[in-house]
Amino acid sequence: MNWIARKSSQFLITCFVLIGISALPSLVGQLEFVPSNYWGGLQQQVGLLTKLDEITYYNVTAQRELPLLPAIGPLMKETVIIFMTSLVVAVGFALLYAYSFYRSGRRVRTVMQQTSQTLEMVPDLFWLIFTQFLAITLYKKTGFDRIEVAGGFAEYIRFLPIVTLSLTILFFFLKWLTNHILQEETTPFLELARAKGVRPAALFWKHLLPNLVYRFYLFFRSNLITVLSSLLIIEYLFNVQGIFRFIVYNPSMPILLVILFVIYIPIFLVDVLAEWLIPDAWKGGV
Amino acid sequence: MRRVLMRDPIFLIVFTILMGLLLLSIGNTIFRDGQVDQFLNRYSEEGRLIGIPPLEPSKDQWLGTDRAGNDLFQMMIEGFKWTVGICAIVALGRMAIGLLVGIPLAFRGARLNRYFKIVLDGFLILPISLLAMMMLFSSLMFADSTMVPPLIDRVSLQLTVFILLGLPAVTLYLVTEVRQLLNREFMVVAETLGGSVWHRTRQHLWPHLVPTLVIVFMQQFVQTLMLLIHLSLFGVFFGGTVFLFEGVMPTLFEWSSMFGYYFKQFTATTWMTSHMFLVPAIGLSLLVFLSNLLTSRLERAFRLRRQEAIVTDETISQAEAAAATLDEPFMLVYTDDALQLHRKKDMSG
Repeated sequence: MNWIARKSSQFLITCFVLIGISALPSLVGQLEFVPSNYWGGLQQQVGLLTKLDEITYYNVTAQRELPLLPAIGPLMKETVIIFMTSLVVAVGFALLYAYSFYRSGRRVRTVMQQTSQTLEMVPDLFWLIFTQFLAITLYKKTGFDRIEVAGGFAEYIRFLPIVTLSLTILFFFLKWLTNHILQEETTPFLELARAKGVRPAALFWKHLLPNLVYRFYLFFRSNLITVLSSLLIIEYLFNVQGIFRFIVYNPSMPILLVILFVIYIPIFLVDVLAEWLIPDAWKGGV
Repeated sequence: MRRVLMRDPIFLIVFTILMGLLLLSIGNTIFRDGQVDQFLNRYSEEGRLIGIPPLEPSKDQWLGTDRAGNDLFQMMIEGFKWTVGICAIVALGRMAIGLLVGIPLAFRGARLNRYFKIVLDGFLILPISLLAMMMLFSSLMFADSTMVPPLIDRVSLQLTVFILLGLPAVTLYLVTEVRQLLNREFMVVAETLGGSVWHRTRQHLWPHLVPTLVIVFMQQFVQTLMLLIHLSLFGVFFGGTVFLFEGVMPTLFEWSSMFGYYFKQFTATTWMTSHMFLVPAIGLSLLVFLSNLLTSRLERAFRLRRQEAIVTDETISQAEAAAATLDEPFMLVYTDDALQLHRKKDMSG
């Protein structure tokens, strides 16, 4: 009961903060900070909460204002598809990397560690340009034209945005995984399991990995803003019909309010589920 | 830490490259009045016209020219100090305010910190670049170059917005870091002995916080650079954007503005092969890479410094073995200087 009350109050407080954030664009006007404007903006945003269905956006194709709420569905779907697929791909490859790292000898480990550290330093901007460059070069050399390098009005582009975002997330994970595997390896419970004759594969999948799951989630959660920033720029440059590109082209406070809630509510639910479903034994001292 | 860094060749090389570029950029302003040469046409030795702007990279113009004939190498050199200066000021500003808010807060109870974390959590779900774009768009768009307000007004507004938007994340990080330090043994001892908050901060906390701050500075530097790049791609250049008949143009040619400006001059795929786009794009990617490399070397030096103070398993086992052979096993019999040194360091913080 206490937990539910705590989570509910957390949700409510964050909702108020999000309303405050969505009114921030009104704070700046004519190269100055105008607090009275911000107060007006805040009141406007609070007023909108009761009439979210009346929020509209200007549709360039239809040349008129259209309601936002039904229109945001397909945009959200596109963003979720790209984000979730990239996440699944990145986590899959990260697990493969982690297992190979765990089973490798000292020399291979050094190479893997240095490679992952170097790749993490490369900005997402580079991967973005590099993947498009590769697609164009492939087309020029082989005539293979099935890879879209930019989306159009009614065309969905998914492959390259997913590849780019997966690379960005993957390299982001690798360094963390490497460091934590090295730390966990020396823990007494793994030493004991090893001494009892548990096979290395079982050691990794049954003992080491569960111990990392919650910490890995917390790491991802605290760095989510970095991933979302990459997604924003990927959507914008690849012309993906997603919510981030939509807000760039329709930068108004009511739309920002809706988008903030649309992003926050799923994150909050996942947070609650993670805290609830992940066994306490896996959380360790976290 | 300093000693480790001075012996690290990678750190020294990266540091020299960045400092060299900064000196060149400042030198260009001092000795050449910030001038960038223009090359309108390229002629062969026989005097025949062989190229018009944008000129491809060549022996004379190392990185080529843009459509206006400006030498891109000189523009990159001239713009470097702006890019680095903006990122450094924003990173320092965030850290200074983050420390002013974070340290007193960290000394408070856990409940207050939990509420503070919940309040700031909302700031950690929306990309800063999106919010910055929406806040700055109306103030930094100018329909005419004659309507552009003084540089100081534009720059101060932009820097303030950049600092404020990144502040929640930095403050949260610093509060967590300070609270971790406060739980260390030497801090508990200092508190028990009656040290005031100011004394504990200055004498014990600050020396342990400095290496972390150096790393946070570099991380914030890179984040600000990414923020500048994102904004320039949205058409919000640092210092403002002027609308022209042929498109948008920055008022200040720093690296990220150059990148966004040249990017917007091409259609979907033509930018891929143009040196005008690739020069700032590669330059920015390299700057991010080198800054990250510098951060990783600082982290390494910091790690090595901490390891120096750690007593190894060998010393512990030696002490245990020595104690086991004694008649009075609970008497203090450190034979190893390192163990005693470690204790002293821990006590003094």
